[in-house]
Parts: sequence; C-alpha cells; structure tokens
Amino acid sequence: MAIPVIMPKLEMAQETATIVEWLRQEGEAVEKGEPLLVVETDKITVDIEAPASGILAGVRAEPADIVPVTEIIAYLLEPGEAATPEMAATAVPLPPPPAVQTAPALAKTRATPAARRLARERDVELRTVTGSGPRGRVQAADVQTSPITPERPAPAAEVIPLQGIRRTSAERLAASYQGVPHVYFTMRVDMGEFEKARASLNASAQRAAAPHVSVTALLVKAVAWALQRHPWLNSTLRGTEIHLLPEINVGVAVALEEGLIVPVVQHADLKSVSEIARRVNELVARAREGRLAPADVAGGTFTLSNLGPFGIEQFTAIINPPQVAILAVGATRPAALVSPEGQIVIRPVLRMTLAADHRVVDGALAAHFLAELREVLENPTLLLW
Amino acid sequence: MNIEKKIELLRQMYTIRAFEEQAEQLYALGKIHGTMHLSIGMEGSAVGAIAALRPDDLILSTHRGHGHCIAKGADLQRMAAEFMGKATGYCRGRGGSMHIADPEGGNLGANGVVGGGIPIAVGVGLSIKMQKRDQVILCFFGDGAANLGPFHEGLNMAAIWKLPVIYVCENNQYAMSCSTRRAFAIPRISDRAAAYGMPGVTVDGNDVLAVYEAVSAAVKRARTGEGPSLVENFTYRWRGHSKSDANVYRTREEIESWKKKCPIQRFRALLIKEGALTEERAKQIEQQSYTAIESAVTFAEASPEPNLESIEEGVYA
Amino acid sequence: MREITYSEALREALRQEMQRDERVFIIGEDVGIYGGAFGVTRGLFKEFGEERVIDTPISELGIAGAITGAALTGMRPVGEIMFMDFMTLASEQLVNQAAKIRFMFGGNATLPFVMRTPAGSGTGAAAQHSQSLENWFVHIPGLKVVMPSTPYDAKGLLIASIRDDNPVIFIEHKLLYKIKGPVPEEPYTIPLSTSEVKRSGQDLTVVATSVMVKRSLEAAAQLAAEGIEVEVVDPRTLKPLDAEPIIRSVMKTGRVLIVHEACKTGGYGGELAALIAESEAFDYLEAPIVRLAGRDMPIPYNRTLEYHAVPQVENIVAKARELAQGRI
Repeated sequence: MAIPVIMPKLEMAQETATIVEWLRQEGEAVEKGEPLLVVETDKITVDIEAPASGILAGVRAEPADIVPVTEIIAYLLEPGEAATPEMAATAVPLPPPPAVQTAPALAKTRATPAARRLARERDVELRTVTGSGPRGRVQAADVQTSPITPERPAPAAEVIPLQGIRRTSAERLAASYQGVPHVYFTMRVDMGEFEKARASLNASAQRAAAPHVSVTALLVKAVAWALQRHPWLNSTLRGTEIHLLPEINVGVAVALEEGLIVPVVQHADLKSVSEIARRVNELVARAREGRLAPADVAGGTFTLSNLGPFGIEQFTAIINPPQVAILAVGATRPAALVSPEGQIVIRPVLRMTLAADHRVVDGALAAHFLAELREVLENPTLLLW
Repeated sequence: MNIEKKIELLRQMYTIRAFEEQAEQLYALGKIHGTMHLSIGMEGSAVGAIAALRPDDLILSTHRGHGHCIAKGADLQRMAAEFMGKATGYCRGRGGSMHIADPEGGNLGANGVVGGGIPIAVGVGLSIKMQKRDQVILCFFGDGAANLGPFHEGLNMAAIWKLPVIYVCENNQYAMSCSTRRAFAIPRISDRAAAYGMPGVTVDGNDVLAVYEAVSAAVKRARTGEGPSLVENFTYRWRGHSKSDANVYRTREEIESWKKKCPIQRFRALLIKEGALTEERAKQIEQQSYTAIESAVTFAEASPEPNLESIEEGVYA
Repeated sequence: MREITYSEALREALRQEMQRDERVFIIGEDVGIYGGAFGVTRGLFKEFGEERVIDTPISELGIAGAITGAALTGMRPVGEIMFMDFMTLASEQLVNQAAKIRFMFGGNATLPFVMRTPAGSGTGAAAQHSQSLENWFVHIPGLKVVMPSTPYDAKGLLIASIRDDNPVIFIEHKLLYKIKGPVPEEPYTIPLSTSEVKRSGQDLTVVATSVMVKRSLEAAAQLAAEGIEVEVVDPRTLKPLDAEPIIRSVMKTGRVLIVHEACKTGGYGGELAALIAESEAFDYLEAPIVRLAGRDMPIPYNRTLEYHAVPQVENIVAKARELAQGRI
C-alpha cells in the first residue's frame, strides 16, 4: 500500500514551503525516520523524515518548487508495488506563486515619460530614483534631484535571488516599517556595575564549567526583568485591542549569511542567567549551523538586537511584528560622564535605542521602561529583587 | 433635326456601345480594377437626352454613366485613361468608371450613390438661376433612385423655386435585382411629377428621337424659367447590374426580347430607310466608332500610373 | 472695443460677406423671414431679399445638396441646419458627395461652402436636439470642421470659412449665442487651422472646444486663486488641426486635460490624446493624458440629469486640480 509523502506544515502561519533538495532518488529505499528531503520555510530550513519505510516514487515537486502545505509530494511504495497512474494524475497544483512572481514587476520602474526622458539625458538610473508620484511613480522632479549615475555602462551585478529567510525578512521589515508608526528613544547607560557583575558571573561559570555569560545573555535577563514591570512593552496589537501577553519570550536577533533570524529565549523572566546564557549560546550556534527548529523561532514577545560586538555604538531597529517594541543595543565604550557629584568621569557607556509602535507605546511609557532598564543595568543586584 | 445631327447621334450611340464592349473585354483580360456598370442597350436614352442640350449646359450623371459622358462630348482618350485609373484620365485616376467627371465639358460627374445627384441638381439649378445664366442642368438617375428620399426633397425644391433642371429617369426596369413591378405601385414613374407640380412624361427610351423630343420640351421649359420637368426613358439594360451580377432575377428570353429592340439598330434602320444613310456609310460609322475606342484604349494603356507622391492631392483645395 | 454677442458676431460676418461677395447666399430652414431658429440670420432677409436668404422646406438633405451643387458651379453658399442632430439627415450629401467631389474629380472642382449648425446641450431640448456630433465630420477627409468659442472667433472664423475653398462644417453652440465679447466692426478673418492659447499657465494644459473653452476659462480662474496656473488652448478648427500650440503647451506643462461636450467614446478627445502621445510632447508628460467629456449616453431632458451629462465648471476644476497636484 503506497504511503503518501506530504509537504508538512511546520509553523502556524505557514502556507507553503520550498523544496530544497530530495535526499533520496526516485526508486531508492528509505527507512521510516530517515531524512527524505530538505524544505525551506519562511523562517527555517528543515529535514523532513520519511513517514514510512519504502521505495520513493511518484515525486512530483522539484527543488525550488513552492508547494502548499499538506499537498502530496511523493509516495513510498512497498517493495514490488508499482506506481499507479493516479499518483501521476494527482499532480501537485502549482501554487499561485506569491512574491517570487511579483518580483519581475518590481524590476520595472513606474515613471512618467518626462522622467524617463530626463533620466536618459542626465544618465540617471531610473530604478535608483524614489518616486514621489501616485503609486510611487517617478516624476521628472525626482530625477532632477537625484544624483547622476557615476559610470556607464554599469558593471553587471551579481544577482542573488531574494528568497527564504532573506525574502521573509525583507517582506516583514518592509511591511513593519511601512505599516507600524515607529517612535525611537535613546538612553545612555553606565555599564560599570554591569561589567563587574558579568565578570563575577563568568568567574563562577568558569569554575562550574557552565556556559560563558555574554553581554547579550545578561541583557536578555535585564530586559525580561524590566518587561515584567512594563507589560505594555510586552504586548501585541490586535485590531483595536492591545493584548498584554502572559509570557515574556525575548528574541535575539542573529545575523546569518542567509539573512537575519531571531531565535527566542522562552520565559526569559523565569530563567536564571546561567540558563539564559546556555540557551542563547545554543540558539546562536544552531542558527549558524542552520539547525533551528520551528519552535526555536516561534513565540517571541520582544526583540533584542545587539550590534555591540560589531563596534556599532548606536542604531535604530525595525519592530518585529506582532511585537510592539525592539531594543537596539550598541557597544560599550569609555565616555565622559558627569557623576552625581558633578565630576567629569570616564565610564564604560552603552547607548540603547528603543523602537516602539507608537499606537501602543507613548513617550512616557517608553521613558519609564528605559529608565527602569537603565536602573537594573547600572545596579544589576536589582535582578535579585 | 438635320441629317448631320442624326448621323452624329448614331455615331455617339455606336461609340458608347464600342466603349462598353471594349470595357468588358478589358475586364475579362484582367486589365480593369474594381467593377463597372454597363449601359449597353440604353444608348438611346443617354444620346437622345443630351442631344437636347447645348454644349454649355450641364449634366449630372449616374454610376451607369459612360453613355452620358460620351454623349456630353468627352475626350475618349481621357475617358478611357480614367477608366483604367491612369494619371492622364479625367480624374487623374482618382475616380474611375463610377466617378468620371468633366466639369469643363459640363459633366458634373457620375455618382456612386444612387440618387446622389438629385439634390445636387437643386444647387446647380439654384446657382444658374442666381447667376442669371442661360443654362440648364440635366440630372440623370435610375428607377431605383426614384424611391429614395432625395428624389422627394430634390424634385420638390427644384419645383418650388422653378429651377432650370431636367430630371431624366432612365427606367431600365431593375434596381439591381428588384424589378420596378415589385418596387412601384404606379405604372409610370413620371406619374410622380404631378405630386411636385411639374410635367412628367414617359417615353420609349430606345427611341432616341422620342427621347430627344421629350427632353427638348423640358429643356425649353427650364430655359424659359418655367421650372423643372421629369422625363422617364423606358428602356432596358442588357447586361447585369455590375460585373458581379449573375442575372438570376430575370429570364434569358426577356433579355433576348429586349435585344431585338436595340436602340442603335432601330435608329440605323430608320436613317437608312429615310435615305439619310447608306448601309455602307452606316458600317463605316460603326467601324470608325470601334477604331476610335481602340485608339483611346491604346492611349490609356500607354499612359502612366498616377504618381504615388501625389496620392493625397485633391483632398483639400 | 464694442461688445456684441456671439450670435450678432455671426450675423455681422454673414452680412459683411454678402455685401462683399455676390456669390455668398444663405439657405436653410426658417432662415429668412423667421430669422433662423436661434435668430442668427435675423434681418438679413430684409436686407438681402429672398433670393439670397433662401427659406427651404424641411429638407436637410436637399439643403446639403443645394449648397453642394451651387458651390460646384461658382457660388459660395452658407447653409444652415437648425440642429446639429439633423446633420444626420444631410450627411449623405456632405459625406459622400461634398467631401469627396474634389478628390474624385482629380482636383478639378472646388466646393466653397459653409454648413452652419448649432450643437450642444443645456437648453432642455433633450436627446434629439442636443448632440455634439463634430467628430463624425472630423472623420471625413475633404471636410473642414470649425468650432468657435467666443464672439471674436465666431466672426473671424465664419468669414474665413466663407472665403475658404473647401466645404466647412461650422459648429456653433446654443449656449454661446448670447455670450458677449469684444468684436471689431470691420471684417476680419481668423485663418482656419490656427489653435489659440486662450490663457497662459505653466501647471497644466487644458485643451477644450466650443462651450468647454468658456467653462475651462472659468475653472482656470478659480484654480488660479488656489495657485494652480492653467493654460487653456482652443483648437478652434478641429480639422485640419493646428497641433503645434497644443504640443508646445503640453511640453511646457507636462500635464494635459482634454475637455469636450461630445460623448467620450469616439470623441475628439481620443484624437487629441493620441496626437499628443504620438508627438514630441510624449517625452514631457508628467501624468497620463486625461479626458473629461460627455457621458456615453443621450442627453436627458430633466434639468439636473442634463446638467450632469456633460462636463461643468466644477468638474473641470476638480479634475484639473487632481491632475495639477500630481494625484493622477
């Protein structure tokens, strides 16, 4: 009896997945539980295991095909069993291809004839010009104010298809940036005590052969602590309702070659620093190896992005919906501060910038949250509170 | 009518016949583009009517207008050239068989629209009257045109203003395939003249002298300011309506019976009987007519095509 | 300069041309004793007599034939068709005969006549007395089509039309007859096929015909108060068109709104739009070419419905504003 292999649904909101590769050829035997193929969702790349033992047959989706979840993509036959015509007949309906197909349309710039003429005359690449007209149409004035393209002909660009994680990030970031009114708040933090506390924790960790506590790990703990006290920052906007979420799950932005991914430290408020450190290290390592499971990236309620290790001192980040805030943290650098006694002192200073959804978070709320967070970073013993 | 004029009428009738027979041949040889409407068998109508005019009088012709054109004194070479669409034609190849015109010679043009000339005749008559010129305008049309609205508007206007117009209806008994028996509830089209307050008369259109007499009376009336008349020439076309006509609407016997009433043979016999003409002289006239047409066709064939660069010339003045 | 109405300007043109040239005469229904259905020929019957101001029976095709035949034989007639709707009855002679005779005769004929006729809605005359059928005649080679929008243009263009050696369809507008404007007393001509910029502006070009020129100028005045400077161009002669001022204007403003009363589909606006798109002005367009025209429907009787069947000043203002502000 032939067993169908279906495109599994791996995440809640997932509608399709892309075949990356088949790990068995048609006609080859596979044991139940062995990896059969690799698929890529919006967030992750996963191995799909064989649902039964058998001979792979009736493969109807090729690498790069986008297949709706629950569609049959192949069959597993018993030895000696022949493929039936129905197997071939029930071909996977190729899904209405989403962004991939609209991509060529995007490549064509909407511009007025006048703008096109000016662009020709001024050697301006129209696609580099931001259009101010209806539906983003490039008008003549847009071309006039745009810089002249330096060299022609432009060297052939290396084309990287926008797909997988990168495409998802691109679409989500664009949607968030266009759809969510962002408001930004920056605060400086004296990290002297934080660094002392982290050094002390790491000394203990070393003795206990426990995981090293990174700045990020300790920041996750502090953020969770502050979120406990400011639940509006740990909320989501659903229509006309603000839902204050019952869990504090802090996502940590990780830059990969394939794009940006945000694994999540679940229940960060309930975990010890050591547990958080272990979890963060594990998630980062898994992310780099491409082994994140769907659950690893699900359920975040707030995101932390730390570009300190790259030397960035201050930046703003784009909110990761349906979350309502993201904290962008820069590097800790020695800087001159005025002490409470009025003395100029050189202290290790960190700049953190909160980006918040202004529909939910107003200035005072953000200020209170940031002040609370600074308080705990400057006095880490409060974490024991 | 003196003998010379009678002989001239015979010559015109032969010339028309020769032209149209030659036209058929050229068509058969594939040398003619489009179509044509032949008046073979109707020569008495064209020649008799125009014989009643002075050279400075005007005519408006129809799609079946070769006879009118020749009787009005057209240059056969320019006419043949137009027929063949040549630059030397009357209309520089723009008009063709259906639109041959010679305004200088008093021919204000054949017309591709049935009844198209009837309202124009009103304007020409008005113009003559306003300019107090001593001319008349003779407007030919067929039996089919008498059933069009312009017939009503035109005859009425010409009558109320007493314009110098002679309306000559060449009743060849068929509007394409539709016989007058099916298209009219009255025996004679000329009966309609009474409705417009003008004289109407029906004559044997195959009797060139009868036509001449009737039209002459109408011309006299027009020239003396008494207004228009309607003359109906009862005749028959031997050929189909146009080159694409298979003659399915009438019998071979009917056509043959009318061929026996050939206006040319009839007039020729009359002239010979009257002693105005010998058999030899008649043959000579016939031969000369065919020769004249052959030479006109030779001229036309040797003539250049219109210059393509001139294609839009004549659209606007 | 003294001001007279559009109707008086037309009458003056007719009178002066009839005085100047004996070949000029008037022919039409009720043009004589009655003075014309809209009074344009009032007084001319008395002045020139029934031989030069000729009342006809109700025979539109006859009138068209009469001016065709008369023009063909040396006269310079001016016909009148009481409503443009009835040009349909006259069209066989105008379209098949007059327009083509010169060409069919290889250039061996001239037909110097004018056929005057009032077009347009706004008088409550409903569907069979309100049409704007200019484009039917624009489509016919051999005819010229003139549509004056002011008293000054009416006189100058009518004299030029009478002196032109071609059949000219001269389309007046019922709502313009009583409009006053400066008109010189002496005879003058406005050459046919000269478009005119009726108002200068740099933000938007409005090309309008007949009564829509007046409405567009009113709209332009309102928009000027908002800081939008509209250039209004009046083709005046629709065929043969002097396209250059239109193209030049569009090249200047980059935006063009075409306004006419005739139904949009198959209307003159489509021709203008195509002409602009095919021209040098294409490369200067900053927005789609926009047409504002009569709805594709017969003119209704009801006052409100009639009003909304064709463009009005407020429609022109709204559309021009949208276009000038880059919202189209």
